[in-house]
Amino acid sequence: MISLTIDITLRQDAFTLDVSESASVEVLGLFGPSGSGKTSLLEAVAGLRHPDRGAIKVGDRDLYSSTLQINLPSRERRIGYVPQDALLFPHLDVKANILYGTSGHLGTAKALAYAETVDLLELGSLVARRVQKLSGGEKQRVAIARALMIRPALLLLDEPLAGVDRERRDRILPYLMRIRKQLHVPLVYVTHDADELTAIADRVLKLEAGRVVASGPPSAMWPAATR
Amino acid sequence: MIRVLLAFSLAVAQPERIIVSVAATMQAALAEIADQYKAVSGVAIDLNTGGSNTLARQIVEGAPADVFLSADDIQMDAVARANRLVPDTRVTLLTNELAVIVPGDSTKRITSPIDLAGSAVVRLALGEPSSVPAGVYARKWLERLKLWTIVAPKVVPFPTVLSALSAVEAGRVDAGIVYRTDAIARSTVKVAIAIPARANPDLAVVHSAAVVRGAHEAAARAFLAYLQGPQAKAVFARRGFGLP
Amino acid sequence: MTAETWAIARFTVLMALTATFLVLPPAIATGWVLARKSFAGKALFETIVSLPLVLPPVASGLVLLWLFGRRGPLGRALDAVGIEVVFTWKAVVIAMMVISFPLVARSVRAGIEQVDQRFEGIAATLGAGWFQILTTITLPLASRGIIAGAILGFSRALGEFGATIMVAGAIPGRTQTLAVGIYTLVETGREELAWGLVAISALLAFGAIYVSNRIAGSRGTP
Repeated sequence: MISLTIDITLRQDAFTLDVSESASVEVLGLFGPSGSGKTSLLEAVAGLRHPDRGAIKVGDRDLYSSTLQINLPSRERRIGYVPQDALLFPHLDVKANILYGTSGHLGTAKALAYAETVDLLELGSLVARRVQKLSGGEKQRVAIARALMIRPALLLLDEPLAGVDRERRDRILPYLMRIRKQLHVPLVYVTHDADELTAIADRVLKLEAGRVVASGPPSAMWPAATR
Repeated sequence: MIRVLLAFSLAVAQPERIIVSVAATMQAALAEIADQYKAVSGVAIDLNTGGSNTLARQIVEGAPADVFLSADDIQMDAVARANRLVPDTRVTLLTNELAVIVPGDSTKRITSPIDLAGSAVVRLALGEPSSVPAGVYARKWLERLKLWTIVAPKVVPFPTVLSALSAVEAGRVDAGIVYRTDAIARSTVKVAIAIPARANPDLAVVHSAAVVRGAHEAAARAFLAYLQGPQAKAVFARRGFGLP
Repeated sequence: MTAETWAIARFTVLMALTATFLVLPPAIATGWVLARKSFAGKALFETIVSLPLVLPPVASGLVLLWLFGRRGPLGRALDAVGIEVVFTWKAVVIAMMVISFPLVARSVRAGIEQVDQRFEGIAATLGAGWFQILTTITLPLASRGIIAGAILGFSRALGEFGATIMVAGAIPGRTQTLAVGIYTLVETGREELAWGLVAISALLAFGAIYVSNRIAGSRGTP
């Protein structure tokens, strides 16, 4: 569980992102059609985009506050970000990608964490591969492992299952559940697929053209959906 | 009407301008003389200047010069061998002397040739010693004094004697060897060692002149004659050249 | 080809390699600043960086001559500690560096601009500081542009004439590069030897273009 406060305004070309939400969640879902501002919101939380005004608070840490003149650089936010197309570093192999956030050599604790993460996401057979040789789903898992290695306070996932066919989706979703259940890392999960959120989220924000038009537990959003 | 035609035909008969290729050291004097000449004759002089070796090569390759003033006989001989001169026009026009100069504010002790081999002189500016007359004269002088082998590594060669002079002026070198006429023309350098002609008669510095084969032979002959006349001689003498 | 011409060729290659090696750090820094940073006066900075590219090389050479001459602002200080620049090999290297700098910097800039900034963003979320991002993400991904810039700068340095002859002179055995050598050999009536230098220059030019094309063609896009 983590308390999240996102109260920001961010002007974009097509619309202005204007969100004001506060919640205590394990998994917060962001739902909406493409172009509704979900990615911009994630980028603002990760510190990759600068809102025009507002506040972002994760747990008891102020990451951004226009009134208090706080704007923590991404480096210090301890927020894991898994973008929509994984964005694995093309010049590094899988292992180097996963270990990028760890500095220098691998002490015992980090080595254990690495082994644990690789097991969790079943990447053992892939660690020596070049990034270009991975499938879409494999890239996503590597990107998730990379983000997990910094022991983030919050993990942001932007459409982690987009472009992955249905049967593989059903295989990857359990990994994400594991992250929540075994590692206890809170997630912000962005998708335009209601079924994924029904499976994993405990609270959902529905975005349209930059505004939250509905919020609540998935069962309230989609009463007819099956688990 | 007739008067207009007459004036017109007279103007057409004489060329309005001729080209004089003049070695760098005589360039300032020629500029002054050319102004005088234009006033009395109406003929304009276009001066083409540089190292005598460069000018000689240009003429040999066919560049349009009407008169050539060379800083030494070697370059004039080269042009003669290439059959570019009008044979009976070659004259020895002027004499000159070499001088070792230093920057105007130099405090180094350079009073006799042996000092050039010493530690006071790290770099010595010369015209290119294999081809620029001033450099050739300087090298012969140093060879005569058996100092060339020691001094040669210190030499910074320049394409003309005036660029060597500039280097001394600007203090980029410790000393230079140029013509006395170049040295006394500038107050920013001073003569450290004079190299008088009578001391080294076979190293005599001689500047010669000749008419180059071309379309303006008559006008060129006329100007060459003027160069040997009293008005021109006065200009040369004032600038330190010797008259043979 | 004589021993003299080979010596000139060796000297020129050595000087050009030294110049390229020394110019890379400032050129990479400048290329990075131009590609990634914005600040007041950036347009002016860009213009100054490009000056040696647009000015006639002899003009740049004259500026260097003034700067490093014994009475010039830099030359005076160096002379005080016994370092001579003008008319030495150091002037050759400096002239080559100044002339090739804009070429290398622009190539680096283009290479870095091609690097997706989102990679740099991800690296930041993973805790990397600006220097780590620069050295582990940006520069490696821009390596093609950097190498192309280095080769371009090296080739330009090999052929540099105007600035070199101004500030280093044409002293045989000490500051005579290939280009300067061709000029002075012709000037002093030894044209036949000059052709030997022309041949070597052509060989080096072919070599540089060949290597450059190999690098441009071989590396696939990541």
